[in-house]
Amino acid sequence: MSGVNRLTVALGLSAIVLSVATIVGLPAPLQAVAAIAVLVLLPGQALARLTQVTDVALAVVLVLAIGLGTLTVVSTAMFYLALWSWQACVVTMGVITVLACIVRARQEVA
Amino acid sequence: MIDELEVTRPTEGRRWKLRDVMCIVAGVVALALAVGAASTVAVPVDSDMGLVGVLPYPFWIGVLILNIAFFVALRGDADGPARRPVLMSLLVALVLVLFGTAIFVTDVPRGEVAFRHLGVADALSQVGVDPGIDAYFNWPGFFALLATMLAATGLDPVTVALWAPVVNVGLWLAAVGVATRYLTSDPRRRWLVLWLFCLGNWQDQDYLSPQAFGFFLYLVLIGLLVGPLGARSAPFPGFRRADLAEWWRGRAPADPRPGHRVGALVVTLLLIVVICASHQLTPFMMLVAITALTLSGRVWPTRLPLIAGIVLVLWLVYPASPYLVGHPPLEDAGLRAAITANVVDRVSGTPGHVLVVQLRVLLTVVLWALAAAGAVRDWRRGRLDIRVILLALSPLLIFPVQMYGGEMLIRVSLFALPFIALQACSILLPTDDGARPSSRGTGVLVVTCFLLAALTVTGRFGNAQYDVFADSEIAAIDAAERMAPPDSAIISAAHPTPWRDDAYLDHRYRTIEDLCEQDLTPSTCGPTVYDFARGNAEGAYLVLMSSAEASLVIQGDTSTRDFAELERWLRTQQGVQLAFRDAHARVYEVVAP
Repeated sequence: MSGVNRLTVALGLSAIVLSVATIVGLPAPLQAVAAIAVLVLLPGQALARLTQVTDVALAVVLVLAIGLGTLTVVSTAMFYLALWSWQACVVTMGVITVLACIVRARQEVA
Repeated sequence: MIDELEVTRPTEGRRWKLRDVMCIVAGVVALALAVGAASTVAVPVDSDMGLVGVLPYPFWIGVLILNIAFFVALRGDADGPARRPVLMSLLVALVLVLFGTAIFVTDVPRGEVAFRHLGVADALSQVGVDPGIDAYFNWPGFFALLATMLAATGLDPVTVALWAPVVNVGLWLAAVGVATRYLTSDPRRRWLVLWLFCLGNWQDQDYLSPQAFGFFLYLVLIGLLVGPLGARSAPFPGFRRADLAEWWRGRAPADPRPGHRVGALVVTLLLIVVICASHQLTPFMMLVAITALTLSGRVWPTRLPLIAGIVLVLWLVYPASPYLVGHPPLEDAGLRAAITANVVDRVSGTPGHVLVVQLRVLLTVVLWALAAAGAVRDWRRGRLDIRVILLALSPLLIFPVQMYGGEMLIRVSLFALPFIALQACSILLPTDDGARPSSRGTGVLVVTCFLLAALTVTGRFGNAQYDVFADSEIAAIDAAERMAPPDSAIISAAHPTPWRDDAYLDHRYRTIEDLCEQDLTPSTCGPTVYDFARGNAEGAYLVLMSSAEASLVIQGDTSTRDFAELERWLRTQQGVQLAFRDAHARVYEVVAP
């Protein structure tokens, strides 16, 4: 793991843990927090880091826009393919987050 | 990094001052006054001017204090405005006061459309994408997102709809703030843009909707176009072919890092796809803005208009084709038709309602006049930014193309608002960038913005007599939807009616307003409604609520006496019986013959 940023590792691991926790189910307020994190914030953050944005304000807005935009694409595609379930969306967004973290980790090692 | 962003931020690293603390305290006091005053308003609202007619005076004292605190903080001192947390906290308070007022009045979302959108998301999760149902299923992007979020989070859909305006305006402000950082280096101007954006936002398009989501993505896209994807160009040389070619070739990317530009381009493409999949109108606004900025030489990737156009056409030709077959895009185009639908048809009704409509127009005209004066001032100083002008004016090109249910002017003014606000700052703040406003100038700003806030509250909540619902009205709708068997009809008096949020496809939903079109006289409309109800094989339920009746009366479609006569006629017909009654609604069952 030498050379890989801790934030990259934390994002990837958080996506895995929170995806499982969201699907298994959590008490009411925690379920909402975990779902928003795994569906929007974590993939948004992981993908926004690939854009190499350095301006903090732009990065914050991009996390939200990319997270919401990616979830929209994933959900819409699943509806058109008649594959939609919210659990499938959670898994897909978790996988996207992990893949983005792997790409980022390879950039960091290189 | 890019254009204006490299300017230093003089407010950072400075010590807290008594003035900063006092401004935050004033913001908290103002918020408490406004929330406390709003929570005393009784529902249904009893004024044809909406909330402005019933809000007690402490609300307005709160609004005044908030404006004073903001401009004291904005004026700051010789080093610049107050610290960022001070101005941010005042902005949060303003958003809660202006866009959350109705939340403190009632725990029911305003208007009909948010309920309907919840119903579409619910229906989508049950039957999937069926483009034959209605237009929403031809642009399902936002509803797919909403269905997933609601199912995964377990949040109460009605609560989500209730708080959507505050959340959406928060998202818009974040995106406007980012775009503004690339358009001006003056920190006072950046903060004042956000303040004016709130004060000019009477359009009421921030409820739970695809257009609110699309507008956020549009603003982020504009931020990327004027930021990482921006270009620097030499002064425009004229229209001679050789000069134009040389000018075009002389452009340079504003951001020298290719990797950064590629990342921004990929995000831009994602946003274009999501906007095209989520809303009918926003893609056209987006295409016009991208094209205008690109032709001005201020966007580096020159093929973006082509890409956006192809994505838009592909969406219209394939996923949205079932809807377009019956609704050609230019079917109702034309400037005269657009003016009739957007202006003439809306200025009618009771004196209070007409005054509200006129004040909305006044607010828009005042802001555009300030922006025009600001543009002239900037032009005289040789500092006019063509990007701001293009972004403010380009939405107007869409106005005559589609009537959009008479709401096109509202949408045009919303899409132009951030850049109108930015241009208006040029006349409201001192000529020199970074100069501190005088005490007298600050006083004028306080008064001006207080008046704008009063106009915005009047405009936004001007329909409160019929778009703020009592709990008893919600109970009546719930009762009707519970009693009505599948495929039966549910008839309300008028829009807005808070229905269809969890039974979108189960019933035929109609309003008396739609069935009788222009003529609501009891002798003509009564038989029309009765025949429709009796003609439905599964029967019908007629829901008459105080708010829907007020909608018809306020907008001049009928009178209280005529409506009472219509109800009396209907309830005396064969097969019509009272099935539910509470303080503000009656539900009649109409049995099929």
